[in-house]
Amino acid sequence: MTTLQLSNINKYFGTGSSRVHVLRDINFTAKKGELNLVIGPSGSGKSTFLTIAGGLQTPSTGEVELEGQSVKSMSNKQRDAMRLNKIGFVLQAYNLIPYLTVKEQFQLVKKVKKEHNLTNLSLEVLLKRLDIEDLQNKYPGELSGGQNQRVAIARALYTRPDIVLADEPTAALDSERVVEVGKILQTLAREQNTAVIVVTHDLRLVEFADNVYQIMDGQMTLNNNMKLA
Amino acid sequence: MFLSFKEIKKEKVRYGLIIGMIVLICYLIFILTSLAMGLAQQNTDAIDSWNVKSIVLDKDSNTSMAQSLITKDEVKKTNVTSDKAYIGQAAVVTKKSGRTNESAQFLGLKSNQFVAKNLTLTSGHKVEKANQVVVDDKFETDGYKLGDKIKFNSLDKEYKIVGFTKNAKLNIAPVIYGNISEWQNLKNINGQFVASAIVSKKANFKTDNKQLKTYSKSAFISKLPGYSAQNSTFTFMIAFLMIISLIVIAVFLYILTIQKIQNYAVLRAQGIPAKTLVGATISQSITLVVSGLLIGIILTAITALVMPAAVPMSFNIPILSEVGIGLVLTGLLGSLIPIRIILHVDPVSVIGG
Ligand SMILES: Nc1ncnc2c1ncn2[C@@H]1O[C@H](COP(=O)(O)OP(=O)(O)O)[C@@H](O)[C@H]1O
Ligand SMILES: [Mg+2]
Repeated sequence: MTTLQLSNINKYFGTGSSRVHVLRDINFTAKKGELNLVIGPSGSGKSTFLTIAGGLQTPSTGEVELEGQSVKSMSNKQRDAMRLNKIGFVLQAYNLIPYLTVKEQFQLVKKVKKEHNLTNLSLEVLLKRLDIEDLQNKYPGELSGGQNQRVAIARALYTRPDIVLADEPTAALDSERVVEVGKILQTLAREQNTAVIVVTHDLRLVEFADNVYQIMDGQMTLNNNMKLA
Repeated sequence: MFLSFKEIKKEKVRYGLIIGMIVLICYLIFILTSLAMGLAQQNTDAIDSWNVKSIVLDKDSNTSMAQSLITKDEVKKTNVTSDKAYIGQAAVVTKKSGRTNESAQFLGLKSNQFVAKNLTLTSGHKVEKANQVVVDDKFETDGYKLGDKIKFNSLDKEYKIVGFTKNAKLNIAPVIYGNISEWQNLKNINGQFVASAIVSKKANFKTDNKQLKTYSKSAFISKLPGYSAQNSTFTFMIAFLMIISLIVIAVFLYILTIQKIQNYAVLRAQGIPAKTLVGATISQSITLVVSGLLIGIILTAITALVMPAAVPMSFNIPILSEVGIGLVLTGLLGSLIPIRIILHVDPVSVIGG
């Protein structure tokens, strides 16, 4: 079942001679139950692709559809609600609010989205799997980069989103943790029937992916051969 | 509320300093207002204590009791009933060896009229004889005692202090209540003149004499020498202080909000509605201003307790409340300015890289 569809997406920044063409004719489909990996070097347009997919920016041309509904046609309020209820973002940086403890990051979400979140028990299990269950009373500033990233992942999964969009979620993690995060995202896709899209330059995640795309200078190609490599 | 309180809890020093700044601003405004009110009150304390509504003066006196003289003829047909009283005013300098001279206002009263009858004393007794006076407690603060003999100006006649009274100030000078006959002596006038003024508890008191004119209490007070000028100076000072404080507080709250934009961008990306963030910002501003205000009030109250009596201060609760409400509104305004920025914060700005 198609959950997220990007059709003929182009994105330009700037105008005139300083205009850069960041995304070129991108067609992309994400289905529930699948983990999609988008691999590309720095500056290839990964973050731009992900923010357009999540409705945070609008493409210059083309259409983004979420569960059949055009994101372009949504009001700002509907887009907020969509992000809150349907999408789990793991951003590249600054995911956490510095003056809230780990526990309070989740409490904040619960204040705004009261229902359909993880139960306390499931959250405990998730935190344990991410090996951050002992950090609940710490502030982000007291955590390492990797710990922060894992809290951000848990924070994104807390709302039980239909789609998870993750930008370099393993950038600060060592190999052992990468495997754990890969497994969590894979399980999430398969068992919770979630559409997971991860953009990264980390090839270590390839083995967990159902589909691997490559993005280079704004052009995206499906390259499932990478999984065999 | 959640976000704003958690942030204050985490950043105790930063928010402590901001609250401290608001405390000082509130304290400054309160103390200055109280000083201004205190000074204003020293102009009118005596008049206020009589509870009069109107005052009759010679129409050519330029609304000045000191310049007004009322003759026997002019009040021939006026019935000075129980809610009316004669007052004879004379500026004097009191002398007593071993004590500092005092510039004072001698107010001659008739002991059977209400002003003299209603006078409340803090010690001693009322004027019973012509050579007795009841004086404002400033004399007591300055070392005068019951039974002390004082002289006026260069005259030889001695007067005995038989009582002290509180809040008897006219135009900032302490008041000496005596007999109206002594007023005639001090002014060096004969029995043709009965008083400087007739005060009445009725607002509509009129004499039928064309030379006399009735003024309302407020009209009379506004014409006290220097009173209006003094008050408008203070009003402007406090108004400017309020406006500048408004700007300072608003700028601080603005900077605070700007520093949070990155966090807000993350929350917006996660779909947290802008209204939650606006709510957090406003509730935080109000928390800061209200706690600053409360501490400022406590400080002011403590100051009121330890302030020496010689410093005229008046803590007028209604006016100070207005000032307080003004400060809270200021804080609200300061937090409203950056709301546009919050509403337009771009989540993509934090995603980069
Ligand atoms: N807001 C922007 N304005 C101008 N150029 C941008 C903007 N955002 C991204 N770019 C450019 O688009 C390109 C792709 O950026 P990005 O999507 O962040 O790449 P990646 O995430 O793969 O490193 C880069 O060359 C970057 O400089
Ligand atoms: Mg990026």
